[in-house]
Amino acid sequence: MATRNRTVEFRKHRDAVKSVRAPLSSSAASASSTGPVIEMVSLLPSNRSSYAPLSTDDPSTSRDAVTVGLPPSWVDDSEEIAAAIQRARVKISDLTKAHSKALLPSFGDDKEDQRLIETLTQEITSLLRKSEVRLKRLSAASGSSEDSNVRKNVQRSLAIDLQNLSMDLRRKQSAYLKRLQQQKEGFDGVDLEMNFNGSKFGSRDDDFSDVGFSEEQMTKLKKSEQFSVEREREIEQVVKSVHELAQIMKDLSVLVIDQGTIVDRIDYNIQSVSTSVEEGLKQLQKAERTQKKGGMIMCATSLVIMCFIMLVLLILKEILF
Amino acid sequence: MVVTSSARDYINRILQDISGMKVLILDSQTVGVVSVVYSQSELLQKEVFLVELIDSISKSSESMSHLKAVYFLRPTSENIQFLRRQLPNPRFGEYHLFFSNILKDTQIHILADSDEQEVVQQVQEFYADFVAIDPYHFTFHVPSHYIYMLPAVVDPSTVQRFCDRVVEGLAAVFLALKRRPVIRYQRTSDIAKRIAQEATKLMYQEESGLFDFRRMEVSPLLLVIDRREDPVTPLLNQWTYQAMVHELIGIQDNKVDLKSIGKFPKDQEEVVLSSEQDPFFKANMYENFGDIGMNIKRMVDEFQQVSKSNQNIQTIEDMAKFVDNYPEYRKMHGNVTKHVTLVTEMSKIVDERKLMSVSQTEQELACNGGQGAAFEAVTNLLNNESVSDLDRLRLVMLYALRYEKDSPVQLMQLFNKLASRSAKYKPGLVQFLLKQAGVDKRMGDLFGNRDLMNIARNMARGLKGVENVYTQHQPLLFQIMENIVKGRLRDVDYPFVGNHYQQGRPQDVIIFIVGGTTYEESRSVALQNANNTGIRFILGGSSVLNSKRFLKDLEEAQRVARSSTTVV
Repeated sequence: MATRNRTVEFRKHRDAVKSVRAPLSSSAASASSTGPVIEMVSLLPSNRSSYAPLSTDDPSTSRDAVTVGLPPSWVDDSEEIAAAIQRARVKISDLTKAHSKALLPSFGDDKEDQRLIETLTQEITSLLRKSEVRLKRLSAASGSSEDSNVRKNVQRSLAIDLQNLSMDLRRKQSAYLKRLQQQKEGFDGVDLEMNFNGSKFGSRDDDFSDVGFSEEQMTKLKKSEQFSVEREREIEQVVKSVHELAQIMKDLSVLVIDQGTIVDRIDYNIQSVSTSVEEGLKQLQKAERTQKKGGMIMCATSLVIMCFIMLVLLILKEILF
Repeated sequence: MVVTSSARDYINRILQDISGMKVLILDSQTVGVVSVVYSQSELLQKEVFLVELIDSISKSSESMSHLKAVYFLRPTSENIQFLRRQLPNPRFGEYHLFFSNILKDTQIHILADSDEQEVVQQVQEFYADFVAIDPYHFTFHVPSHYIYMLPAVVDPSTVQRFCDRVVEGLAAVFLALKRRPVIRYQRTSDIAKRIAQEATKLMYQEESGLFDFRRMEVSPLLLVIDRREDPVTPLLNQWTYQAMVHELIGIQDNKVDLKSIGKFPKDQEEVVLSSEQDPFFKANMYENFGDIGMNIKRMVDEFQQVSKSNQNIQTIEDMAKFVDNYPEYRKMHGNVTKHVTLVTEMSKIVDERKLMSVSQTEQELACNGGQGAAFEAVTNLLNNESVSDLDRLRLVMLYALRYEKDSPVQLMQLFNKLASRSAKYKPGLVQFLLKQAGVDKRMGDLFGNRDLMNIARNMARGLKGVENVYTQHQPLLFQIMENIVKGRLRDVDYPFVGNHYQQGRPQDVIIFIVGGTTYEESRSVALQNANNTGIRFILGGSSVLNSKRFLKDLEEAQRVARSSTTVV
């Protein structure tokens, strides 16, 4: 697709105009204000980062200079939330690695792995929860209509990210759960097989060997019981965090836009903004009118007038008598 | 070479290089251009947190310097004036200006003059100046649309504006596709000739550097034709999904506004019908009404099964699965509701207006012969109380277009009956239509009854019988496309501009209809493209017509013609 860049021509003409304008402005205007003005002009192009707080020394020159002020405070909040989401994303990839490591059959005690997974999961869930709470707070503050639109859209975009992360986490957890369960069953199955073989073997021998095998069987049974109890506990933990995340998702779904619907259309959003602003204006005007006409005001004013009259009469009475 | 993806690529390019929080400022035309190919959620992903129109932005003066402003406007003098007022007192941190068409040098100078604070970082031309409603169908929004029907002397400035808008839009389409076409136009239409010539001047002389692309073997073809060559297609009632929704309810930029036909819950008042975003719609947009009903029923059954399984939550796993699938479920629910609502409303309208019998007569008028039978059928329907005024007018118009010369007495009877029955009928409208698009003005064989070959073909078709009475009509565009595919588009009828010439067949053809396209024609184009004949067609128009809009254009043109003293 073809495009054409007209910036070069534009800059050329702009510089040409500036050189014509600059000597003019320095010759005209009072001496005190020209100094800061020219300073401003040379400062501005170099300080083009959006958060640079540039304050004018002389308030009278603010007419000519641009006050590049600080962005509103909610921008910092949204940055924090975005950073938290990024941290959660990194932790989720760590969690995936820990999951796969824990599922590998190992000889050692895999309590450490379990603990790691638990702590990671808890951290992630708490991060997401906190972000969600902060996100809700983002919309509470007030501001102009345009600012509130920007805020609403920032909130929406963060909500979409948050929801995607939660879904990702839950999917990974349910996959891990499933594989855990499979392993548990598999383990029991293997055990069963061994027991079966053991009993077959045992039945051929004498009672002496029977006792020996059954002791082994007992210890094996105990071990596998322990194992399955542990696994059950893990599964319960995972299920609990699944519940929590489900709650988060439900809360977020009100914020998120459904793709493909009318709410996802740019022109619909522009129209609804303008109509709601117009509606708001109409309501305000109506409220103002009813307030002005309000009987309360009339009552109050008439009472005040009566008070004055009474006061005057009182004074007159005093003077005359 | 697909128009929707070209427009999308432009918007992507605009937004991708600018980092940080952005505000996107559009004008009333570019809003349509952007909305059909880009969604709000995609804008949010690109960190565009505010979208405004340029006239509302200039009303407030609150400073939001933490945002970068991206302007995407048409290079009109009004927009330049808005910018000229805003640039000296910038509200935003940075300004990136993108224009959807060619900027004049004077406009650049005006902008440079007003950029006192040097906030403008770039000025670019990104040629997305068309509304890409479907992959092979684009349109413009041209004001004073009816003016194409009147000779230029009536209102030369409006005609000039019309032609300018069309030529600029066509230039943008070809710049987006990076091709320079060979141009042909319909001989009998002055406005088509004018547009073709002005487009040639723009592409080959004025901005020849811009259009100097690498020459492929065969240049693409731009064919400019006039709506009045085929006035029948916009007047007919439609029975395929997309065309039917537009005819009965109305589609604007892929949005359907249901508020005009009844009360609906808040989230169903307006719906989106876009083939890019809705796979069910993409599969069914060209199907006829009966098949749609069946497909919707199947979709509803599927959905009911899913929702039943969702209600049957027994274990923790079921709950987890439900929450997993909840977004999908909600989307499906919304989609099913939308289509069911549309089809229900359309069924209601069909019943109210008795469209089955009206449309059958319309199709007979458009496709088959038999003047006597046609006259009787039309008279019966005119006498029928439950037929609406709009449908009566359409029937008489179709009859008049078909049997203009056959029996003037009976035609006059129909006119009188129409005038007496329809209270809102503007007298002389049918005659005006005949003056614009009557058999003397048309050169093609609209009804297949001039050319011997076509007569034979029609007779054969009549003997064979048709699959579906309601969709038997083929727009004239279909014949034109066939002729192009066979290389048989006559030079006499569709001459080349200037000394252009084309050996052999083009591989890409853009057909532009001055006066508007219809969804029936875009369906024809899409089906033709699906046949893989080696030629790809794209259809464009100055608007998308249904019968109401076409009649409105006629009425407006008639009113202006009457009030103007220069028209005979």
